[in-house]
Amino acid sequence: MGKISTSDFQKGMFIEYRNDIHQITEFQHVNPGKGSAFIRTKLRNVKSGNAFEFTYKSGESVNEVSVYTREMQYLYKDESQYYFMDKSSFEQYSLSKNLIGSFGNYLKEGAQYQIYIHDNRPIGLRYPKKVKLKVSEADEATKGNTVGGAKKTVKLESGAAVQVPLFIKKGDLIAVNPDTGEYLERVNE
Amino acid sequence: MSTWKKWPHDEKIRQTYYIREELNFLIRKFFRNKKFHEVETPILLPALIPESYYEYFKTHLLDRNLQKKTLFLSASPESSLKKLLTAGFGNCFEITKSFRNTEIGSNIHNPEFTMLEWYMVNADYKNSMDLLKNLFQYLIVNLRKKKLLPHFKGNLLPYNNLEIDMSRWEKISIRKAFNKYCGIDFNSLVDKNANSDNDIFSVSLIKTIARKKGYLVDRKNTWEEIFNQIYLNEIEPNLGIDHPTIIYDFPKPLAALAKLKSDNKLFAQRFELYIGNLELADCYTELDNWQEQQIRFDNDQYLRKKCKKYEITPDSEYIAALKKGLPDSSGVALGIDRTVMLFAGVEKIQDTLFFPLDY
Repeated sequence: MGKISTSDFQKGMFIEYRNDIHQITEFQHVNPGKGSAFIRTKLRNVKSGNAFEFTYKSGESVNEVSVYTREMQYLYKDESQYYFMDKSSFEQYSLSKNLIGSFGNYLKEGAQYQIYIHDNRPIGLRYPKKVKLKVSEADEATKGNTVGGAKKTVKLESGAAVQVPLFIKKGDLIAVNPDTGEYLERVNE
Repeated sequence: MSTWKKWPHDEKIRQTYYIREELNFLIRKFFRNKKFHEVETPILLPALIPESYYEYFKTHLLDRNLQKKTLFLSASPESSLKKLLTAGFGNCFEITKSFRNTEIGSNIHNPEFTMLEWYMVNADYKNSMDLLKNLFQYLIVNLRKKKLLPHFKGNLLPYNNLEIDMSRWEKISIRKAFNKYCGIDFNSLVDKNANSDNDIFSVSLIKTIARKKGYLVDRKNTWEEIFNQIYLNEIEPNLGIDHPTIIYDFPKPLAALAKLKSDNKLFAQRFELYIGNLELADCYTELDNWQEQQIRFDNDQYLRKKCKKYEITPDSEYIAALKKGLPDSSGVALGIDRTVMLFAGVEKIQDTLFFPLDY
């Protein structure tokens, strides 16, 4: 546990709030009518998955929680949990749906992901900047329009829907930004 | 991708722009119908009304010998417009760009933004509440006529998962809001028997309340900083949710350039308007007492020094204008970009601007 200030905040960081570990999912600066500046933060309780907002005074002191990451393989999911396996120890861990958040739409069974660990407990999944997924469903493209920038919606093997250029077809492997859900590029296998 | 590059393929960007275009036209028509004159005042100013919270953009005027003179980009047309009022100009309005430095890293701020500011003479903030409501009703009726509000149904304006009843405007005082949303009796935050403002708005009283609620407080915090933190966490999230909210009568430390209430000097004749949880407008009954204004200038200069904000030249011409006499008047500052956000159903101010500043 290290003491940091709001100016050290980074998206994805873990901090202590009211004696519980929370992840900072978003933050932005707020300037009310007078005097000082504030940081409005979106926090997620890693135990309950409960998400809410808290506004800190700018420069306020906060305890950062140190975590390390361990690579694990994603196995499967049920109504409330996602299951991962540590390939070296074969131990299985689960993370609740609300800790995975929207990234659940981009998980591919069998793929490796970085899991945040604290006190030997998994507390979150580190979103990679880019995921590579196959297009499982796509309408026929109209005549290869690469210039216009027009888009169509396709479905990915993980279940997510994404807006892509018209030339993308079923079976193509594409890269997507899991944070924004935006198409990045087509990938050669 | 920058907003302007999205123009060819993004219907939403186009709709948002057409709403802004129509809004500019309707605002001018509304004020022309009410016989307000439109004015243009400078963005480049040699002196400012010192406000402790703004960071200003600073630049230099070079004379023919390349001698430098500091100029600032105005954060609001207020001082210029009120000078015109003291010269007997009468009801007026301006649509202009205002500049606030450091206001980056936010979905609802752009350091350069568009402001509508108007002043009505022989009026106070209560008259402004009525005029502001009329303006919004006028905008809605006419935007609907042009089919620019396709999702508006009955009296409900949809915005960001909310359905805002535009026919029912809520008015709540800060004092009542503290009671309703924080469970705090405002009297517990002030010592009415004290003499100076610093003692009346006692930082130790408000710290006690804040600590009880689990906020972290330290020696550097001011009464107003702690007040703001409680306000931002517990009151603001409730404003303008189901209907527009006018929150009024701000405590004296947040009076800015508003006159104090005649029946209660602890509060100022100031209100803010929230719609869709967006803070859209700020209004005062304008302070006309030049001695009181000078005291506030000095206090803000002191706070600016304390917070290590850079030096600005205080606007002595403004004080001189107040000495001449400001008619009883009330002004409103309305953020046009945020109003566009509201009507276009857009959650980031950057999506209402072709060239937003972002880093």
